[in-house]
Amino acid sequence: MPNARRSTGLIPLAVLFLVAGCERPVGCTGEYCGTMVIAGGGEPDILLPPVSEFVITRDVTDQLFLKLADLGPSGNTIGDEDFQPQLAARWEWDAPTTLVFHLDTRARWQDGQAVTAADVAFTYDAYTDTLVNSSFRSSLRQVAAVTTRDSLTVVFRFRQRYPEMFYDAVYHMRILPAHLLREVPREQWRSTAFGRAPVGDGPYRFVAWKAGESIELAADSAFFLGRPHLRRVIWRFTPDQQVAVTQLLAGDADAVEVLVTPDNVQRARADTQLATYPYKGSAYGYVGFNLAAPGDSTRPHPLFGDRDLRRALFMATDRERLLRNVFGDLAKVPPGPLSQLWWIWDPEIRELPYDSGQAARLLTRTGWIDTDGDGIRDKDGKPLAFRLLLPTTSAIRRQYARLLQEQFRIAGVDVQLDEVDFGLYNERARAGRFDALLNTWNTDPTPSSGFPQTWTPAGFGRSNYTRYDNPEVDRLVDQAVASAANRDQARRAWRAAVETLNRDAPGIFLFATSNVAAVHKRIVDVTIRPDSWLALLRTWRIPADRLTDRDRVER
Amino acid sequence: MAAWLVRRLVASIAIVFAVVTITFFVVHLAHGTPCGSQDRPLPPEVCQQLCRRFGCDKPLLVQYGMYLARLGHGDLGESIGLHRPIADALAEAIPNTFILALAALLIDFALGLALGIYQAVRAGRFGDVAVGNVALLINSMPVFWLGLVLLLVFAQWLHWFPAGGITDPVLCPRIESPYCVLDFLWHLTLPALTLGLVGAASTARYQRAAMLEVVRQDYVRTARAKGLRERRVLLVHALRNALLPIITLFGLAFPFLFTGAVLIETVFAWPGMGRLAVSAILQRDYPVVTGAALLTSAMVVLGNLIADALYAVADPRIRVRAGEGGGGGGGRD
Amino acid sequence: MVLALAVVAALRRRVRRTAPGRRFFRHPTAGPGLFVLAFFVTIAIAAPVVAPYPPYYQIDISHPNHPPSLQFLLGTDPFSRDVWSRLVYGARVSLGIGAVAMLVAATVGTAVGAVAGYFRRWVDSVLMRLVDVGLAMPRIFVLLMAVALWDHIALWVLVLLIGLTGWFGTSRLVRAEVLSLREREFVAAARALGAGAGRVIFRHVLPNAAAPIIVSGALGIGHMMLLEAGLSFLGLGVPSPIPSWGNMIADGWQRMTVAWWSSTFPGLAISLVVMALNAVGDALRDALDPRKEAA
Repeated sequence: MPNARRSTGLIPLAVLFLVAGCERPVGCTGEYCGTMVIAGGGEPDILLPPVSEFVITRDVTDQLFLKLADLGPSGNTIGDEDFQPQLAARWEWDAPTTLVFHLDTRARWQDGQAVTAADVAFTYDAYTDTLVNSSFRSSLRQVAAVTTRDSLTVVFRFRQRYPEMFYDAVYHMRILPAHLLREVPREQWRSTAFGRAPVGDGPYRFVAWKAGESIELAADSAFFLGRPHLRRVIWRFTPDQQVAVTQLLAGDADAVEVLVTPDNVQRARADTQLATYPYKGSAYGYVGFNLAAPGDSTRPHPLFGDRDLRRALFMATDRERLLRNVFGDLAKVPPGPLSQLWWIWDPEIRELPYDSGQAARLLTRTGWIDTDGDGIRDKDGKPLAFRLLLPTTSAIRRQYARLLQEQFRIAGVDVQLDEVDFGLYNERARAGRFDALLNTWNTDPTPSSGFPQTWTPAGFGRSNYTRYDNPEVDRLVDQAVASAANRDQARRAWRAAVETLNRDAPGIFLFATSNVAAVHKRIVDVTIRPDSWLALLRTWRIPADRLTDRDRVER
Repeated sequence: MAAWLVRRLVASIAIVFAVVTITFFVVHLAHGTPCGSQDRPLPPEVCQQLCRRFGCDKPLLVQYGMYLARLGHGDLGESIGLHRPIADALAEAIPNTFILALAALLIDFALGLALGIYQAVRAGRFGDVAVGNVALLINSMPVFWLGLVLLLVFAQWLHWFPAGGITDPVLCPRIESPYCVLDFLWHLTLPALTLGLVGAASTARYQRAAMLEVVRQDYVRTARAKGLRERRVLLVHALRNALLPIITLFGLAFPFLFTGAVLIETVFAWPGMGRLAVSAILQRDYPVVTGAALLTSAMVVLGNLIADALYAVADPRIRVRAGEGGGGGGGRD
Repeated sequence: MVLALAVVAALRRRVRRTAPGRRFFRHPTAGPGLFVLAFFVTIAIAAPVVAPYPPYYQIDISHPNHPPSLQFLLGTDPFSRDVWSRLVYGARVSLGIGAVAMLVAATVGTAVGAVAGYFRRWVDSVLMRLVDVGLAMPRIFVLLMAVALWDHIALWVLVLLIGLTGWFGTSRLVRAEVLSLREREFVAAARALGAGAGRVIFRHVLPNAAAPIIVSGALGIGHMMLLEAGLSFLGLGVPSPIPSWGNMIADGWQRMTVAWWSSTFPGLAISLVVMALNAVGDALRDALDPRKEAA
């Protein structure tokens, strides 16, 4: 990788001055210095966007790879007016279902090659390839073909016309360098060396990845959309978000994505070095019941195939009090599988109540009675017991799991926890090898793409882990997506879809996050886009007079 | 001496070989192919390709042979979770563990010997009893818990030391200046201290006992009878002979340092073998687990071998006994 | 507390009459050690009486992390469970695991050691090479591998595994003892009278090798408990919500800065018990050492 490092004797000397506490500026001066250390709760698996689902991977790779265009500050996903050019300098509609992009002539891969239309066509091919099995495939289902007209012009053809077609064309794909990846067999993408030392076209270039420790990126001073102000961005990996916050408060990091709990927010606010930035949460968390038998999607789950049982478990859960224990007032109980970011969020949406009495009666009515007096209900000699799958990397979910375990025990249900690594968790969830899981879903900015991913058959084998499938819901969703331009009409359809789903109780919707980020005060112009908190990172900056010695040090 | 050393070496290699064999068969019997486990199935295309390389269509014994051949070339296979060759991942982690273990060993012996000698000199008096009880308590603590307490007090309350990691990623992405060496040592202090303290506690106990044992022996009585001062008797005559058991202790310390490191590296986010192994286990990434187990065993055996060799050099009487006994012993973990 | 004192006092009176008993109590740490052990064993047995709450009970999850107070002696944890109650029930689990695992280890270790030492020749070689291999693999690795290979391990399997990875040292000890005993006259006499191997080993050899086994057992329980704590801390040991001391440390440590008590007390409990076991083990060693008989 290109890394101009001056190995003169000056560096140790300069750093020795630091040790002595010398005030003299060393190294970098001016507007384009600055180093930011981000404490991240987790570590990317591989820096190749189509094959990773980790949020932290997205945070890193979005600095390396550009989209054709990106969401504007309004967050509006309908039409193309609010989108901002990225790789594509401009675009036009040749026909209602034909979209033509003209790439920016200045765009370059960091190895010097120009970004071409062929790269875009290659990227589309990869994202939709079954061998790559990207989780974005379902979001690209309406794109029929991507072809090149000349080296800088690329044409998208859609199957049909709908309000958020432009969004689907640009938002999901990060354009990849065809000349570096064409030779890599698709089945090896999940372990390719490129994924550990990627070459991108974004505002930052890859510098180093120290496994288990950190990833470092450096600003690309020649970036064609404007030179990033922060010169170095470093992610420090921690086992989970709570540890990340601890590092921030200890002064070992400059920024965290979310402070998670009220007492963390309090401590960050009390810290004179830190500024807090509340923003809308794009995630919701839920217990998902596997409706299919583990490992065999053709048969119903022996327990959760029963709708009444799911409804009883839903009603036995005191979601408000669980929320207060884990989040305090930093999250809301969602009225269905919704994040607060979505415009269809509406506390009026009807759902099952918390009613432990009714839950108990329902369980008794369906034959689950504690006949042997061990406190656990049973039927036909089998105890009412299941295993709850969750990742060890989430302190929030580990907390929830232990609270739920007790709530269900009181209701006469035995829950054992399967706590596994995040990667393994993802794979088991996708393969349907679980009874129930405790999932957090980071939603797309619009329900039109975010909802079908998780609650319609379009997400089978990918992110519809529960294999929930109700044709009535599908119909209402299609109706809502088609009518997105008419807010009232769409709202009614969405509400009907969510209420239908709520009646089936495929999951217990526990929390919808309200995020508060914390960033060191010397960093200014911090704007956070709720769907991806670092999307505007290249405009964050440290004024020249606030640079510390750490910011100036030459690598 | 040379013949003895060769015999011990052969025995050690045989032990490591046995460990390799056992782990290979256990993992294979439980989880068949290199296509990941039932839990982590790899895509069929990837699997076929791996199969060709690892020969999973062949009988188990042939596969075992192929495994050994690859091992001979330093090829430990591909990690499922890390998306890279295991040998690379281990090569990155081992030096970190090694440095941590070495630093801990240093603290262990320096502090342990000093305290043990002090206790022996003041045997039965207040200093001895106080140090003895504190040592006993530290020796009884779960090592990871001691780490947590030190982390809480010195990193989070007092901010004297960093809360984890190996270097400051901003100032020292690589260790290439004196400042960065200092920074590295600064990060090393708490984890090494945690491991070292627990080790020192038992070293001190052994050392005290060994010295008092020697004191009862004839030549010390003779020295005393010659009218030498008590302190001189202890420090010169007794100490010299009481250092012998320390060598055994050195052999014992190896397994302890590696098992302790598994937990301590997790607590202090120290990117060594232990943490690699733990995360591999949480990922059910068996090839990595096997590789880590193999290397750790090799190092434990090596440690014992070194201890035996030192012992033999220091005290020729031992040679025969050590020769038939095989490796040292576990015990501290 | 009073009960524990009474137990120790009674034991003391009874044991004082024998010579090893006197030597045992002459050891300065033996009395306190025994007291600590008796205390924890007592509260473990009497858990339902001394614990104000059931161990799983989440008192008020909207208000967790109560500092220690009169109502909650050792505070409450992040799940609003009473730390004292969990500590008391945890004593059952942690001490139980330590004792049972040690029993398994001592049994296997003694059997292997006795067989190897008694039959010598190839039996001895094979078994002792096996022990060499076992000692070469760090225990925690072996356990972690086992836990990883077989998903959701039941508690009794875990205990068995901890025991089965802990007998190597004991077997060496016993073997050495048996090797020296089998040459003694009374063993030779028994064999000459036509007693079978089993009878000789059980009736004549083992009773005379009991001292080192007991001592290593007392010290071993502590190791087993520490091992359990480590595994539980990594999330691979005792499954939630069963209260083991290792589990309690793991549950509380994320919130150490907010609520230090929920991980500190179980850690102290483990340290105290292991320390007591070590002290008692040391005292036993001195008390049972036949070389001291003359002194």
